[in-house]
This record gives sequence, C-alpha cells and structure tokens, in this order.
Amino acid sequence: MTEKTPVLDDLTDFAVREHRSLWLDAWRRLISNRTAMIGLIVVAIFVLSAVSAHFFWKYDAKMDLDYGAKLVAPVLRVSEESPEIHIFGTDKLGRDIFRRVVHGGWNSLRVGLVAVTISLTIGGILGLLAGFFESTDLNRLEQSLLMAGIGLSLGALPAWIARQPIQSLLFALLGVASVSTPAFLENKSRLRRLVFGIIGLLIGALSGIFVGPMVALVCGVLGLGIGLLLAKPVGGKVFSNIVMRIMDIILSFPSYLLAIAIVAFLGPGLEKGMIAIGVVGIPIYARLARSAVLSVTQKEYVLAAQSVGEGHGRILFKHIVPNILSPIIVQATMGLANAILSAAALGFLGLGAIPPEPEWGAMLGDSYKYLSSGAWWAVLFPGLAIMFSVLGFNLLGDGLRDALDPKMRV
Amino acid sequence: MKPLMEIKNLTTRFHTQDGTVNAVNGISYTLDHGEILGVVGESGCGKSVHALSIMRLIQIPPGEISAGEVIFDGRDLLKLSEKEIRSVRGREIAMVFQDPMSSLNPVYTVGFQISEALILHKNMNKRQAKERTIELLDLVGIPEAGSRFNCYPHQFSGGMRQRAMIAMALSCEPKLLIADEPTTALDVTIQAQIINLVIGLQQELGMSVMWITHDLGIVAEMVHRINVMYAGSIIERGLVDDIYNNTLHPYTMGLLGSLPSIDEAPGKKLISIPGLPPDLIDLPPGCPFFARCTYREERCAKELQELENGPEEGHSVACWRWREIQKMGVS
Amino acid sequence: MNMETKVLLQVKNLKKYFPVSKGLFTNRQVRFVKAVDDVSFDVYDGETLGLVGETGCGKTTVARTILQLYHPTSGQIIFDGVDLASLPENDLRKMRRRMQMIFQDPYASLNPRMTVGSIISAPLDVHTDLNRSEKQDKVQDLLKLVGLNPDFVNRYPHEFSGGQRQRIGIARALALSPDLVICDEPISSLDVSIQAQVVNLLEELQDRIGLTYIFVAHDLSMVRHISDRMVVMYLGKVMELADRNEIYLHPRHPYTKALMSAVPIPNPRKARDRQKIILKGDIPSPLNPPEGCNFNTRCPLAQDICFKKDPEYREIEPRHFVACHFA
Repeated sequence: MTEKTPVLDDLTDFAVREHRSLWLDAWRRLISNRTAMIGLIVVAIFVLSAVSAHFFWKYDAKMDLDYGAKLVAPVLRVSEESPEIHIFGTDKLGRDIFRRVVHGGWNSLRVGLVAVTISLTIGGILGLLAGFFESTDLNRLEQSLLMAGIGLSLGALPAWIARQPIQSLLFALLGVASVSTPAFLENKSRLRRLVFGIIGLLIGALSGIFVGPMVALVCGVLGLGIGLLLAKPVGGKVFSNIVMRIMDIILSFPSYLLAIAIVAFLGPGLEKGMIAIGVVGIPIYARLARSAVLSVTQKEYVLAAQSVGEGHGRILFKHIVPNILSPIIVQATMGLANAILSAAALGFLGLGAIPPEPEWGAMLGDSYKYLSSGAWWAVLFPGLAIMFSVLGFNLLGDGLRDALDPKMRV
Repeated sequence: MKPLMEIKNLTTRFHTQDGTVNAVNGISYTLDHGEILGVVGESGCGKSVHALSIMRLIQIPPGEISAGEVIFDGRDLLKLSEKEIRSVRGREIAMVFQDPMSSLNPVYTVGFQISEALILHKNMNKRQAKERTIELLDLVGIPEAGSRFNCYPHQFSGGMRQRAMIAMALSCEPKLLIADEPTTALDVTIQAQIINLVIGLQQELGMSVMWITHDLGIVAEMVHRINVMYAGSIIERGLVDDIYNNTLHPYTMGLLGSLPSIDEAPGKKLISIPGLPPDLIDLPPGCPFFARCTYREERCAKELQELENGPEEGHSVACWRWREIQKMGVS
Repeated sequence: MNMETKVLLQVKNLKKYFPVSKGLFTNRQVRFVKAVDDVSFDVYDGETLGLVGETGCGKTTVARTILQLYHPTSGQIIFDGVDLASLPENDLRKMRRRMQMIFQDPYASLNPRMTVGSIISAPLDVHTDLNRSEKQDKVQDLLKLVGLNPDFVNRYPHEFSGGQRQRIGIARALALSPDLVICDEPISSLDVSIQAQVVNLLEELQDRIGLTYIFVAHDLSMVRHISDRMVVMYLGKVMELADRNEIYLHPRHPYTKALMSAVPIPNPRKARDRQKIILKGDIPSPLNPPEGCNFNTRCPLAQDICFKKDPEYREIEPRHFVACHFA
C-alpha cells in the first residue's frame, strides 16, 4: 500500500543527450583503434583455426609418424620427391608441421583459458574479499565465518600432525566462539586470552592423547598458541593484510621457476601445466581486484547504498563487481598472452604437454637442435605461431584498456 | 593610454571524435594597465580556454586557435614562435590555477620551484634566487618564509599552497596575472585572505589582473570591469557597478537572480534559468542563449548580435532587445 | 516556528574520533582525528537546519554519523525518541527508511553501471515487497516529482547533466518517503544557475511532502536562504547555533562574525563598504586541535583563558547557543 506520490506542476528538465550505452561507446572506441583491430583479427584467426582444427580436422598424435619424410623442407606442390604437400615442412619424425601447429593452437588456447580462469577466479575472489573486508564493517555472520576460516586453517597444522581432522573443526568452532563471546568477557582482553589459550591447549592435548603422549604435548602447545591468536576477533584489515602478504610471497618467486616447481610437484601433462600457470597468476588478479575494490568503495554510490540499508551481498554484487570488471577484463586478455607464453616455455623444457601431443613450445624444444643442419622450418613456424598469438592478445588488451577506460564524458 | 592587451576575434576550437567543440567564438575586448578584470561565466562558457589561448597553452591537436589576435604590449602573441612565447610566459604574463596541489610538483620543494623560475627568466644564480624567493614568500604572507623554503607542497595547507603559487607567478614581476578560479577550492575565510592579498599586491605592484571565476560575489568586491561569458561568447561587458546595478543581458540577469543575497530579505524564491547550456559541438546559429531566454524572439535564433554599446560608457551587451528589456524595468 | 514543534532528532554530546593506527597486524591506536568532538543540537520536525563550517569542521562526519554510516565514538543520536545506537541491526535497517541522504558529487553518487530506474528503485527493493510493476510506477512518479522526464528510466547516469543527476539522487532519497533528509553539500558541484533550480526543487518538495532537512554546506548565502536555523561548526565543535536571521544579523561568536564577513556579496557598493574581518593563519589540523578553545589560533579576541579552558556551550538567549568565553 503505497501513498500516492504528489507530482510537481511544471516539468523543467527534459533535455537529455542522445542515448548511448556504455558498452557501445567502448566498442566504438575499440573499433577506431587500428592496432587493437589488428590484435582482434589475429586473435580471431588464432581462435577460429584452433577450434575448427580440433573439431573438423581430426588428428591422432600417436599415430602420426612417417620416417620416410623426416625433416622435409616446406613443399607447396606435389612432386616426385615429395608425394604430399607440407606447407610448413616436416619435423624430425616426419610429421607435418602445419598440422601440428594448428592443433597446437588448440592446446595453447585451452591452456590460456583454463590458466586465466583459475587465476581470475581465485585471485579475483581473494582480492575482492580482501578489499571489501578492509573497507567495510563486518557483520556478525561475516566475522564468524572469517574466524571459523582462520581457526580451520590454523588448526590444520595440529590436525595434520595428529591425523585428526576433527581438531581443525574444533578450532574453527573456537574461532566462531570468539565472535559470540559472552558480555562479561568483553573488555578483559587478558582474561579472554587466558581462557581461549586454555581451551586451545585442551583441544590439542585431549585430542592428541588418543594418539600418544608426545603428540598430545605438541598439539597442546600448538593449541595454546592458536587459542591465544583466536581470542580476539580480527578485523577485516588483518584478513586483508594476511591475504595480500601471501600474495606478495607468491609474487616474489620468479614466475617461470615457480611454475616449473609446481609442475615438478604435480607431474607432467598439459593439465598440470594449466594449474601451475594458473596458480602463478593468482596474485596479479588479487592485487588488481583489491585495488579496484578499494577505489570503488570510496565512491559515494556505495555509501548511498549503505545508507539505504542494502546488505553486504547486494552491495558486493550490484555495486562493486560491475565496476571492477574493466581492469580485470584488460588484465585477463593480457594474461592469456602470458599464459600461452608460459605454456610454451614449459613445453620447451619438456614439462607441460606430454609428447607426442602437439604443443608449440614442445615443438621448438624438439627441433632447435636441427637448426644447425639447416632445418629452419621446424623452428620458425612454431615460433611464429607463439609470437603472433601473444602479440595479438597484447594488442587487443592494450586496445581494450583504452576503450574501457571510464573517462566520464561530462 | 594604450591598453596593455587587446584581443580581437579570438576563436578556439577542439577537434574531437564526436565533432568540433566551439569553445571560444570570436571574442574581443581590451585590458588596461593596472586594471582588474573579472571574467565570469559558468562551466563550459570558455573562460578558462580563452585564458589558456592567450598563453598559448592549448594542446594542438586536438585544439586549434583558428582565428584572432592577442596584442599584448604591442606584439601579437598568437604569431610568436615557441621560443618567444616561452619567454613571455612567466615573465610578462603569469598564471595561477585552481588546484594548487596539482600545479605544484610534489617531488620538489616549494622553494626550488619558485627559484627555478627566477633562475630561468631573470638569470639569477642560486643564492640570489633563494633570497628573492624568501622575500616573495614573505610578501604573500607565508609565515617563517625562511624555513618554509625547504618544505614540500604536501606540507602546506591549501591556502598556503595558493599563496606559494601566487609567489611563483609574481616572481618575475609580470605585467599581467591571470588567475583561473584560484579560490574555488578554498574555504571561505581562506578565500577572503587570498582576495585581500591579491588586491593588496595589485595596488603595490601596479600589475593588471584577470580574475576568472563563476562566483559573482567575489568579482563584485574586487574587480574594476567584468566580462560575462556564455557558450564561448562575451555577452555583456562593463564597469562592475554598471553590470550589477543596470544589468542589460537576460543571462546576466538570470545569473544574478539565481544568487541568494546575504543581505536581501530571505524567503524570496530564487530565479532559476530553465534548461541547460547548449552543446558546444552543435551550437545553434544566432544567440547561444536563445533556448533559455525569457525575452527571445525570432530574430534571436537567426542572427547573433554583436556587442553594442549600452547606456553607460564602457558598458556593452550582445542582445537585440536590450533597450526594450530595460524599458520593461526588470533588473 | 511553533515552540511546541516536536523534536524529530536529538544529537547529544556526539563524538566521532577516527583512529590513526600504526602497526602491521595489531591495531595500536596512536592518535585520533577528532572529527566530531562533543556536538549537541536538536532538529525540529519540518524545519531546515543548516550545518555550516569550513574544512575539517566535522559537518560531513556529523551527517554520516547521524545516519549511522559511522558508529559514534560516544554520545547519542535519538531519532523520534529512539536511541539509534541501541537498536539491533534489523531494527536499525527499518529505521533507515525514515532518514535518507543526498550526496555531494553527482558524478560519484550514482552507480555508473546501473540504470536510473534501478538506482531509484533500489531502496524499494530493500525495504518493501512491491511487485515489479508497482515499483515501476513508483519510480515514474518519483521522476516526475523531481522534474525529470520519466521516459528516461532506462538510461545510464553518464547520459545526464550534473544537475539532472542530482535530481536522480533526490528521487532516490525520497523513494521511501523519509521523514528526515540530510543534504550533504548537494549543490556545491553544480553551476550557479543549476544550483538555483535544485534549491527551488528542494524547497518545493519540503512544502509538498513535509520533509525535515539538515542542509550541510559551505556556501553560506545559499544556506541562509534555505535554512530556518543554523549551526556553525569549527574543528569538530559547535561554535554557535541560532535562528538564521540571528546568525546573520547578530552573530555572537568571533568565528561566526569572521565567516559572515568573508562571504562574497554580489553587490559592489555594499561589498566595498562593509567591514571585512580577515582571519590570520590557517585552520589547524583535527589531529592536533589546540588546547583550550579550538579557535584560539586565529581569534582576534583571544586572551589567556582561551588558551587554557575550553569554552562552555551555553544558551545565552532563547534559542541562541554560543561557545565562547566572551560572547
């Protein structure tokens, strides 16, 4: 039952500019940028060829062998010496390089997409939460979840030592308890720490006693420490600090070395390579998302939403996320380029794609030793493929950055 | 006596993706020695752009000073070479901008920045420049000028930064000081201090001042003459008393009517000018104020009236109907 | 104004300190920015209370704390008899319907990725369970109410001018028919001629719908035009509170006097003739307010006692409050 809203008599303000949606504006800017268009065309060629090759030009790498045609130079016409056309020539095992390059594109595309998706989702969410928690007051539910999460992760250590997952859970509950402490403990922080410390000690020791006295001691001490840490609910700033410092730690490793280390740990294979590259990229998106969120939460429209009484979830999804998309889209595009390059690097070193799967880096790795004997085609074409696809994505990303730059037209 | 500066038919355009923005459309006026001129108008009227055009600080492209002359002290500034105009900037004409934080380089001390201008234009050595800089900082009322020399811009408050900017502008004793909305970002009491300072300095040094603002209150107390601008044209000019007491152009009337006066009886509804300023890309022919004017008639849409002389000396207005409007007794 | 007019809002001894913390993981509070330092005033039903002051005076913080966008450090905010700080979260949310805010920057106060229609209907989504067409009708009504063409419901904020965007902000604030609307510098980013349009609109809405305004601004002549009473703040404290005419014609506090004399008058003769009080020095930082009266660093009347003792905020005449040793 709404009250009737009274209407003013004279409507003064009708003049509005020609209708233009934000995305249309951005598209126009992108199209008018010549280098961006080149990038877009190159990317389109790359994607189309990779996709159509995968679905329409079947290729079984394991069956592809032709010792008779080893290292044949590019052949454009059928002739006596060479019964088949090889536009890019053949490699050391007689395989047609053109075919392998095109199919390699499909692998590179997959790696790029999966790796970027991993980095974007995990990094983006971490950055989003870090930025959001840092700048907003958490309500009780959020605080409880946060403390539970901290309790769970810290408790993983004694849980692992004693092989008792239940310890982790108990510490999570302790974390929640820290948020809902009874009032009489409110201001007495020393007392709180004492109480929580003792409870932590008991959790660790009593659970560990089932395994053995040594374990009970170790878990007890760890539990004491965890209890002391959980005593006071942490603010969003602490959470954000911890997350970002972990991101810093990941970033301090040279990215290729880290990727290699992860692949060494997980084992060979293109899928493992995707994960490795994805993980290495997480901090970039986390930082980006966090700084974008921080600048958005300063804006008055977020304050307006809070004053209207919108909940945190609504503010996150309706106000914050749509406004941080632009820089993330740009980064994702450039990130694809990077992922393809990293996959090639891993492949070159023999990590990543398992032979005989076609992969550009692996193809380079196989063939560079034959360069001195004059087989330039085996190295040039995979190399060019890498170069053009990376270049295409970079140009497109640059163009997107200019196109999406939200310069308000006053 | 010949005027210090004479502007004839100055026209500045910007070429953008959406079209050509006609920012300044053939304005002409004179500025005398020792005169304080107020250039008044709302956002988009071209007041800042015209000042930047005088200083040749318009970025070309996308900007273009497509026509006009700016005769300053006998020379047409628009025809000077890059080198020559650079020696004019800072030395003969100095400019103070709105946001002192972004006009001062945050990584150099204030003292360094002011001395730089002195070393460049006046061929002083470092020691002389430092002495003179401290004198200037003192002149603009910065306390403990000696120790402030080594401070960075962020260590100054807004008002002090603006004073430092003024000190920098005055360092080479320019003949003309152009101040583009210098107090808009400042608090009222600080604004009063700066206005006081500029009036005092003007009297002491005898330079001309062009004060650009949208605030009709400020100009009332400090300028000698006013140019009222709208959509790239000057629509009314005159002595400050004439503009306020015998307003001729409907836009100026509307502007003055929108202001609540601190002195008048409150409770009167403000006169608001309906509608919006015109799109500078798509300027209609004829008077730019046509769409919003209460006194408009057919002729106003077709032909633009040039500034013609009003009843008092030095008072001119660009309106076809100003005589009839005056007779109606609205002011 | 009727002396028996109901008090809609009471601000009692409000303090809001912002900690400047040090330390990476701990929250050791080393210093505080005393943005609001013991402020008290009442707001009567149906009036417009002007809240003025310069940078660092705390007026925006007061406004936001009233709306509980910040939690007060101490003091009370009593709205229609209910202490807001004592309310549990759900009840506070419901209370938000009754007080809304209009923000300063028309370019930053509207989400650029939302249509005008969704921006205005957001409060309706949160607080009411109207169905879609009911909400659409309400949005249309609100757009007409603020003088905008209701056909443009699906446009985005960047397609409108500053003044129009401010109207959209007003429509949003009025969606839930609040009792109190806090206007935080709603016209300072607008051109002069547009300011008049928006102020006229605000006044007309107040007459039509019966709203109470707290009008926060630094443009003193506009505040005088629209307010019934005025509060003058400096560095987190109230210097003077009185009826509008009293403040302008008979200001008692030296700061108020200086402030009034500094306001530009668009009348050359009067401007030249009047006595201008030019204050020396700058506004001190709220991190480090002076000992004694906050105004003592710039006050032309400052004496010994002003540097030692904070003046008492007292009612020197009916409805006229001043905090000065010598008023």
